[in-house]
Amino acid sequence: MRFDLTVNGDPYRREAAPDVTLLSFLRDVLGLTGTKWGCMTGDCGACTVLLDGEPVVSCLQLAQQVRGRAVTTVEGLEREGELGAVQAAFVSNGAAQCGFCTPGMIVAAEALLRRNPSPTEAEIREALSGNLCRCTGYNKIVDAVLEAAQAPAEAT
Amino acid sequence: MPELFVPESLDDAVAFLAAHVGSALPVAGGTDVLIDARVGRTSPEWLVDLTLLRSLADTQLAGEVLRLGGLATIRSLELDPELARRAAALVEAARVLGSVQIRTMATVGGNLCHATPSAEMPPALLVHDAVAEVAGPGGERSLPLGELFAGPGRTTLDPGELLTAVSLRVPAASAGSCYLRQTVRWSMDLAGVGVAASVEVDGTTVTRARIALGAVAPVPLLVDAAADAVVGTECSAADAEEAGARAAAACSPITDARGTAEYRRQVVAVLVPRALHISWLRATGSWPAGVPAPINGVLPRDAA
Repeated sequence: MRFDLTVNGDPYRREAAPDVTLLSFLRDVLGLTGTKWGCMTGDCGACTVLLDGEPVVSCLQLAQQVRGRAVTTVEGLEREGELGAVQAAFVSNGAAQCGFCTPGMIVAAEALLRRNPSPTEAEIREALSGNLCRCTGYNKIVDAVLEAAQAPAEAT
Repeated sequence: MPELFVPESLDDAVAFLAAHVGSALPVAGGTDVLIDARVGRTSPEWLVDLTLLRSLADTQLAGEVLRLGGLATIRSLELDPELARRAAALVEAARVLGSVQIRTMATVGGNLCHATPSAEMPPALLVHDAVAEVAGPGGERSLPLGELFAGPGRTTLDPGELLTAVSLRVPAASAGSCYLRQTVRWSMDLAGVGVAASVEVDGTTVTRARIALGAVAPVPLLVDAAADAVVGTECSAADAEEAGARAAAACSPITDARGTAEYRRQVVAVLVPRALHISWLRATGSWPAGVPAPINGVLPRDAA
């Protein structure tokens, strides 16, 4: 069944089998491999994307359920070829080691900052509690989000 | 994996479910339904996608009655400032469920109809005298929420029936509620014990109370005998502890990875008085409006 959706601002009309998840659709149909395939049970957050601006785990979202809606992946957070504020802060803080959780972390942090531009450390940890990292111990990730929160607001 | 049917009306959804009893399951947020199907706990031939039925996501407040659509997301409860003032238990239960991502997807109807004994929504709704509204091939009916649960993963809904909304009582003044829970981890965990309480007061005297428990019986429990212990009192520590003892006696927990039966019983006896105390503080205007309680109910002065 063909359906329409918008991904990172671009409109698409595509087919997807009924059991295809948004995660598979993004990676295998659109080739957007920034969104990572992790636990497939909604526990690890590696597949986090924004759906109409709100964070969801794309492994538990059927692609066809996204009909007519707007998806933002980590690829959609750059601005005119430059890294977005959260992305840049992850780089400058060394907030990635193996990097597998990083796209989900960045998208979840982006969702937090859109709702709460000046979060406390506790609010950051709460907002990222659905995103697992097995490398960093989280401190540099939290530092990166704090730094991004202090960056000049981007026109979004 | 199953085929997807996408009804454009509630009547279409109910008709399809009734025509495919045993082979079709409704799906909304998908946070339980897709995992169940993926790991083989269920094997539906059809999933009935409810997401086009937007009217089922509506939340309406009329006087003291709040009506939550079955498709209302857990996140929408968490972020509702009016609910934080008038149904704090509901907001406290919402904010500890899963993660932000899961709460953005998961729905009230799904959390209820999946009938997980440790689910967060049932105790918080039960202390607000929730009534479930159901649509099915035989028409519409409503039932006290406590009668929805038949056992772990099982409801009393008839084949083809859908939960469409939950109505609850949310007094504007002289009332307070609270949800506390014990978990092994602070987030992304199921409740080892969930406790909800609500009280209404005349001055400082409790005129009405409810206590509900999650994760300590095959179904969420409303324990009237425990609540009765504080009615007519000023909810002193001794009164609240008596309620806790009665609640602990009324539950029937199991031993599993999240705790032993005996531990859970003791946690009930500890969390019930804390939840009652915080509810009473809210009802008497002694708690800052809209501010959530610490999830284990330990107030700063108690921690010293």
